[in-house]
Amino acid sequence: MTKKTTPIGAVAVIGGGITGVQASLDLADMGFRVYLLEKSPTIGGVMAQLDKTFPTNDCSMCILSPKLVDCARHENITLHTLVDVQSLEGEPGNFTLRAVQKPRYVDLEKCTSCGSCEDVCPVSLPNAFEYGLVKRKAIYKPFPQAIPNAYVIDKEGDGKHRGCVDCMRCVKECKSGAINHEQKPEELTLQVGAVILAAGSVPFDPVVKPEFGYRRYQNVMTSVEFERVLSASGPFQGKILRPSDQQHPTKIAWVHCVGSRDAAVNHEYCSAMCCMYTAKEAVIAKEHAADIEPTVFYIDVRSYGKDFDKYITRAKEQHNVRYVRSRISEITEDPTTKDLLITYEDDAGELKKERFHLVVLSVGLCGAGEQKHELLEKLGLQANEFGFLQTRLEEPVVIRPGVFAAGSLVEPQAIPESVMQASAAAANAAALLKDARGTLVTEKQYPPERDVSSEEPRIGVFVCHCGINIGGYVDVPAVVKATQALPNVIVVEPNVYTCSEDTQKKIVDAIRTHQLNRIIVAACTPRTHEPLFQKSLREAGLNPYLLEMTNIREQCSWVHMDEPLSATEKAKELIAMTVAKTRFLQPIQEAEIPVTQKALVIGGGIAGMTAALSLADQGYDTVLVEKESCLGGYLQKVYYTVDGLDVAAVLKQTVAQVQQHPRITVHTCAQVTSLKGYVGNYESEITTAQGTVSFAHGVVVVAVGADEYKPRSYHYGKNPRVLTQSELECWLSTCTSQDIQKTETFVMIQCVESRDDKRPYCSRICCMQAVKNALKIKELNPRAEVFILYRDLMTYGFKEKYYKQARENGVVFLQYDAEKKPEIEAKDRGNLIVKVHEPMLGELLKIPVDHLILSTGLQPNPDNPAIGKLLKVPVNDDGFFLEAHVKLRPVDFSTRGVFVAGNCHLPKFISESIYQGQAAAARAATILCQSTLKAEPNIACVDEELCSGCGVCLTVCPYNAIDRVTKESDGKSVSHASINEGLCQGCGTCVSACPSHAIQQRGFKDKQILPMIEEMCST
Amino acid sequence: MVQKMLKVKDGDVSGAINDFLRQLLSSQKLQALIVPQAMPSQKTTFPVLVSDPHMLHAAPLAPLLAASTAALVSRMTKVQAAPHPIGVVMRSCEIRALLELVKLNQAKLENIVIIGIDCLGTFPLNTYVEFPEKQKPTEYLLEQWKKNPDALDKYLRSACRVCKDPIPTNADIVLGLYGTDIEKQIIVEAYSDVGKQLVEHVKLEEGKDSKERQKALQQVREDKTKKRQQFLKEKAGIKGIEKLAEFFDRCVNCHNCRQACPVCYCKECLFDSSVFDAEAYKFLRRAEMKGMLKMPTDALLFHVGRMNHMILSCVQCGLCEQACPNTIPLMDVFIPVAEQAQKEFSYTPGKDKDEKIPLIVYKEDEFLEVGEK
Repeated sequence: MTKKTTPIGAVAVIGGGITGVQASLDLADMGFRVYLLEKSPTIGGVMAQLDKTFPTNDCSMCILSPKLVDCARHENITLHTLVDVQSLEGEPGNFTLRAVQKPRYVDLEKCTSCGSCEDVCPVSLPNAFEYGLVKRKAIYKPFPQAIPNAYVIDKEGDGKHRGCVDCMRCVKECKSGAINHEQKPEELTLQVGAVILAAGSVPFDPVVKPEFGYRRYQNVMTSVEFERVLSASGPFQGKILRPSDQQHPTKIAWVHCVGSRDAAVNHEYCSAMCCMYTAKEAVIAKEHAADIEPTVFYIDVRSYGKDFDKYITRAKEQHNVRYVRSRISEITEDPTTKDLLITYEDDAGELKKERFHLVVLSVGLCGAGEQKHELLEKLGLQANEFGFLQTRLEEPVVIRPGVFAAGSLVEPQAIPESVMQASAAAANAAALLKDARGTLVTEKQYPPERDVSSEEPRIGVFVCHCGINIGGYVDVPAVVKATQALPNVIVVEPNVYTCSEDTQKKIVDAIRTHQLNRIIVAACTPRTHEPLFQKSLREAGLNPYLLEMTNIREQCSWVHMDEPLSATEKAKELIAMTVAKTRFLQPIQEAEIPVTQKALVIGGGIAGMTAALSLADQGYDTVLVEKESCLGGYLQKVYYTVDGLDVAAVLKQTVAQVQQHPRITVHTCAQVTSLKGYVGNYESEITTAQGTVSFAHGVVVVAVGADEYKPRSYHYGKNPRVLTQSELECWLSTCTSQDIQKTETFVMIQCVESRDDKRPYCSRICCMQAVKNALKIKELNPRAEVFILYRDLMTYGFKEKYYKQARENGVVFLQYDAEKKPEIEAKDRGNLIVKVHEPMLGELLKIPVDHLILSTGLQPNPDNPAIGKLLKVPVNDDGFFLEAHVKLRPVDFSTRGVFVAGNCHLPKFISESIYQGQAAAARAATILCQSTLKAEPNIACVDEELCSGCGVCLTVCPYNAIDRVTKESDGKSVSHASINEGLCQGCGTCVSACPSHAIQQRGFKDKQILPMIEEMCST
Repeated sequence: MVQKMLKVKDGDVSGAINDFLRQLLSSQKLQALIVPQAMPSQKTTFPVLVSDPHMLHAAPLAPLLAASTAALVSRMTKVQAAPHPIGVVMRSCEIRALLELVKLNQAKLENIVIIGIDCLGTFPLNTYVEFPEKQKPTEYLLEQWKKNPDALDKYLRSACRVCKDPIPTNADIVLGLYGTDIEKQIIVEAYSDVGKQLVEHVKLEEGKDSKERQKALQQVREDKTKKRQQFLKEKAGIKGIEKLAEFFDRCVNCHNCRQACPVCYCKECLFDSSVFDAEAYKFLRRAEMKGMLKMPTDALLFHVGRMNHMILSCVQCGLCEQACPNTIPLMDVFIPVAEQAQKEFSYTPGKDKDEKIPLIVYKEDEFLEVGEK
């Protein structure tokens, strides 16, 4: 008997990249205390260095930065930067983690990030964030949006360059006394119930590949360096310049697979994201400057993700990115021009030489750089053969009980996979610690709100100098004077730093002393600082929405640096506008939406079952609805995997766990026929063979899977020798070595009726299916002949190993062009001959075949559009569900409360479905763990007297938050729009669409905005 | 479509149509009719809702559009759809407006039987009431229309003079005047099943070859298009804030135009609301900025604002212009703007009730030249 003790309701997350950030936010939102440990001075990781993200070309920082800010602000997250983890002891639920807190030499509480210290610092050294393309000072902030938003002193330098020289000028300059050169390393001991490892990986350093000339030739750079070149906040302000002469290059080459798929550097894996970021870099470079001629040298283009194939097609066709399938033999430099000459062997085996102005090496990831090995060693964990953290397929984010891992520490992968694994790791930790949920979280208590409804507006204005950031350009005393003259303004106070802790006390005191009922902070952006000041209002007993901010830093001092007089005038006018609005501010009470803490999971495949199990393990009653008569979904058609996963055992065990779980109710042969309500409050009707049952729940996970596409070409269905991959797999699973003759020939054709105009997506799994089945055939009879005719072999990540193994085992891979598809010729007695154009030999090969195997990929569930309509979630052009954001919200829908997992999102492997199922459960649990949800404060509201019920707002609402309701009024039925407070996100689209001014948005009412315009037009 | 002929006795065109309508109403298949009828003063005609066949004295040819029946159907059916079939005699612009209102949930088409009538054009209400010629307006219209239709232009409202299409579409029944000698017979076309069943109850003769009608329709449409092009060319100069301010400087902010507009459906116009109320000092400050301020304020803002709200649904009926007490020729601005705005969205208001109004349709690849790439 083991003694049952309550676990500790806290989790340590190691690594502050996007993976660690996502895991931290999920856990914090689920009611756990999170210690986010990061070894560098800021969170953000590699994603903070990227310019744009594929396939949507979103600005990377713009989508990342809000998450970083959320981390910094979250009551339940404690951020520790500059931390070196030392050891982990204890058992699941109760670990002791020891670490060393290295000195920052800057007090986080006091530093206001004004930057005066940087100006006086005499030490200059290469800026590591910009990969040394520019310099920075010894006291620095890694990047403008760094979190914590504070400076740090580099005492050590980088080996070649000296760091801080202890001149103490910064100490003198710092007005808030934040700098302390005497800081010493401190021990950090944390008691946690679980640990999530998200330490990431490092880009490959191509110095060890001398043939590429990196570091020898100035104009050879890595793709990560080129991201900085592209970035508007990068070393060249977004201008495409090359390092040697700062001139604009037009001929730019990208070289794929540098440090990946390369036995010479012991990296026999594919880095999984380089093909796509290369295409993105080429496209974005072209967008920056139309005269650029991008050329990509590649082996395969691995566009296996959602909308990736379309992106590559667009890159080729719309942006004229030239793709050359080749192997590079060497890169040399023309010493006079510093141009580069690439020697390569093209498709036809011919040696060619071409001149470029700039060469970008698409580098992959190295799992464990030196420090990572150290971390794994300290934690007693194993690296796999590739130097990444060893995981198991059936439990892809579990390292050992209580220790979970996610992100590129476990395998090279793109952002969405990392984000999903992060959420999955959070789900696992939450299940382990479910009894301790909510025990270590903090909630601040505030005094009751003062009723200001009968008071005249009494406005207090706090004008920030922001050190010299504002005060150096804007004449703050003049602004204060002008503001004092405005109507209803009672107090105007200038502050050195309005955001500092002592100013918060001043604000609270001023509200109390002068009976203020509206507050304006004229400083920086509300995006980062509004919640801080809102808290001060709450502490003084005012409704937080009686605050307005005027941005006189970004919008005045920064953009009009050279015109201080105009900047001052503009600041005065902006504040006058804010005063005009503030007079009409009203308190806003956020609606409380009750949550039914139960979940509905639609689809009983591996993704749906995993999601249900994860939710149930976290303590939430879950109903699982499966259309077919038994659970398992597509997994029932998978008989073995190449990496040795015992599929049958996984299936059997998962089904048993689901059926035996006391919190899971399974309905088979069942369908959800109606779904009403919104996040937190759904009411479903489930139709089963026994009748209809209704179920109240707070969230929905959709995991309705996909099925193998049945082709119409290549005599499929007419000739018994023609099979699909999964039909072959079914047959092979029962074969003995006698069943396959040594002379038998198998030809597999990849991308059959796939990646074409009709089905323009890659199914991700079929290349591995082919490799797997080819290896199985060779295992059964090594002398059987297997040919795989492919377009691009999508064996990404560690799957590359099996591609190599197949080649070594004698499987013949022949690449074909999409324009020249293999053809078949029927002979007597059903014998077939495959004809394929082989580019290397430049001739047509004719292969007589005994078995023709077609890789057709998966097709989405035909019910998806109907299910999408029911759940009010979108389906993409290919018929798969469309998540809220392909990068950062891969399991969420923009409709709150609905989540997606598995093959219905896009085709994927078993372990990917498992972690996505768990991720969906984690995201769902962030809602279910709350008894009530707070609705958005600034939502729209309808004036029923004015509403004509025309319905224009219904169609424009992106969140389906508006209904047209008919109700009896004075004996007549009247129709009008009605806004669901649970669904409205306050975007304001309906407000602008309504011609009758019947919809107004709280905090942005006409009566608040028009006075601002009036003010602007009349000053 | 079923085409039949309605015999006209003794050249009494109005009488024949009245007879046709009376037979429809007497058939018990229609509970009531909405039809223009002369008012007791005999100086004007207004739509009436008539249920007693004996009280029916339709004046569907009278060249007057006193009020849009579209707005009347909206008023009658917005709360509840008509319980029994009601026939509504409508001109093409009125049908177009009704379809827009249906799209905006302001009217219900259930049990509404649209009896469209070829439009020969209408005169401004004041012209109609105080008609300067010796004849009655209807007589004058029919006589001139036969003799020299262009001569009518001097009396026609500008909206009618350059009408987009005077031939009804989306009607259940159409009474055709073009392409026939109306002193002898009127063409009756039944389009919908309801229309076809209804005309069974009226004594009609079988229709003949419709080629002549098609030719006439093409002719009238061409004529109108030509005049319309000329009109657009002439009015192209009214652009920019200065010109518009000058154009509207007779406006007294009475908002009659919005009252008359069939597609202005708001319960309370934003511009009648307290949204624009301001303190005295703000008026004074505005005056101080320019030295003076035209009062009442916001006339131009009202027109531009109203235009912004309704222009995509503008059916160019011209009722706003007719309603203006200070005779601002509103169509000089509204027709060109409607034309351009609707063209931008390839949208024809009132063409198809299932076609969505552009502002609620999102197309990803639309207006790529505007805004961020």
